[in-house]
Amino acid sequence: MKKVAAIFVTLLLSLLLSWQAAWADAADAAKSPRFGSKDYIWGEMLPEQAEVMKLTGDPQRGKEAFRGCRGCHKADAAGKTDGTYPRLTGQHASVIIKQVTEVRAGVRINPKMDPFSSDHAVSPQEIADIAVFLAAAETTRESGKGEGDFVARGQELYEQGKCVKCHGANGEGNAVKVYPAIAAQHYGYLKREMDYIQRGVRGNSHPDMVNAIEYFTQRDIEAVADYLSRLPDHRQSLAERKGK
Amino acid sequence: MRLTPHQICRSRLAGIAFLLPGILLSHGVAQAQAVPLAERLQLCAGCHNPDGNSIILENPKLSGLDAGYIVRQLRDFKSGIRKSPVMSTIIPMVDEKEFPALAEFFSKQQRKPGVAVDAKRAAQGKEIYDEGIDSSAVPACSGCHNDDGSGTDKYPRIGGQNSAYVIQQLMNFKSGERANDVKAVMRAVAKRMNEKDIRAVAEYMVTLKGEPE
Repeated sequence: MKKVAAIFVTLLLSLLLSWQAAWADAADAAKSPRFGSKDYIWGEMLPEQAEVMKLTGDPQRGKEAFRGCRGCHKADAAGKTDGTYPRLTGQHASVIIKQVTEVRAGVRINPKMDPFSSDHAVSPQEIADIAVFLAAAETTRESGKGEGDFVARGQELYEQGKCVKCHGANGEGNAVKVYPAIAAQHYGYLKREMDYIQRGVRGNSHPDMVNAIEYFTQRDIEAVADYLSRLPDHRQSLAERKGK
Repeated sequence: MRLTPHQICRSRLAGIAFLLPGILLSHGVAQAQAVPLAERLQLCAGCHNPDGNSIILENPKLSGLDAGYIVRQLRDFKSGIRKSPVMSTIIPMVDEKEFPALAEFFSKQQRKPGVAVDAKRAAQGKEIYDEGIDSSAVPACSGCHNDDGSGTDKYPRIGGQNSAYVIQQLMNFKSGERANDVKAVMRAVAKRMNEKDIRAVAEYMVTLKGEPE
């Protein structure tokens, strides 16, 4: 009899707990309807992203519209060397469009950038303009780099692991698949974003990306970040390959 | 320290506050009636100077501001979205139809810069103005308002602006008392600044030319 009672109590408890967990999830979702959407599906375009993708960008207009971004990303769009703000020069237009529209929709969690990516700061047309401007933008500034102690390990992890499959041998990413170029990005930024992706707080990570670095240690992250920060700009790598 | 309307009236504005009843009487209380531009400008000049370069540090310089920006502010004072101890009293007298001409007039006046009183503080302000504050994610002011503070059609001219006015507005954005910034962009920035940052940046801003090259 005691055994039956114990089973009954256990059942009741687990039922109660699961119900409570479901309730907590619903409460969380209600508290932050904008941020960290759990039903985020990578590759499924937000309506605004799809709208901007159809627009034709103008780099000259984009340079002007970029004014509101310069406060952080600087006039040359190379961000801050310490990685506080990423380098945007040479990033694929499709990637810029995806990230800006997802930040302002609250899908990518980026409170720092939130008000500056609002539709007052940049209209859909301006996002398209900025995107083509950045894709062609050049800077003379070097990227911020790590200590340099584990670059070889970083290269090994990058090339033997899953990174290279999507981001390419030269860190060039893929404009069509909307994978970002990550070569010559600042070390500090790469490290921080990998940390965010690992902890699940970036909001719009590709499941393959989460999977690829799931078991990275802190040192692995630093090594890969350092390796990538030392690669040349992917456009330069492409030009060299063509020259050969 | 945030200036209360009371303190403002007790400071340099006291003289104008004293004159206010007279101005109100001569223009008819709370009766918006369109008057010719030249006549209306006399009312504005009392606080903002005839050329819009107010010498009272608590009052903004209107010279060289974007006309669209001026009209938006006047409308917001009229509707009460933006509040000011002085403007909230004056604005009921002005007819909304007058706004575009007034804005046009002041936007065409040349902005005159001021002088920094505290050079050390101005130097700290320059650092914030040009580089922002990374630790609290404050963007550089120069990004939107330009290196020389000349501003654009989206972001107002702030170069040469009176320091006490700038401090008050940033504190108001910070507290949310002023909330007529589109999409809360300026509130977001001001919330990330402390009063020391605000005072430093205001001290530097006053020295900027404001007029584009």
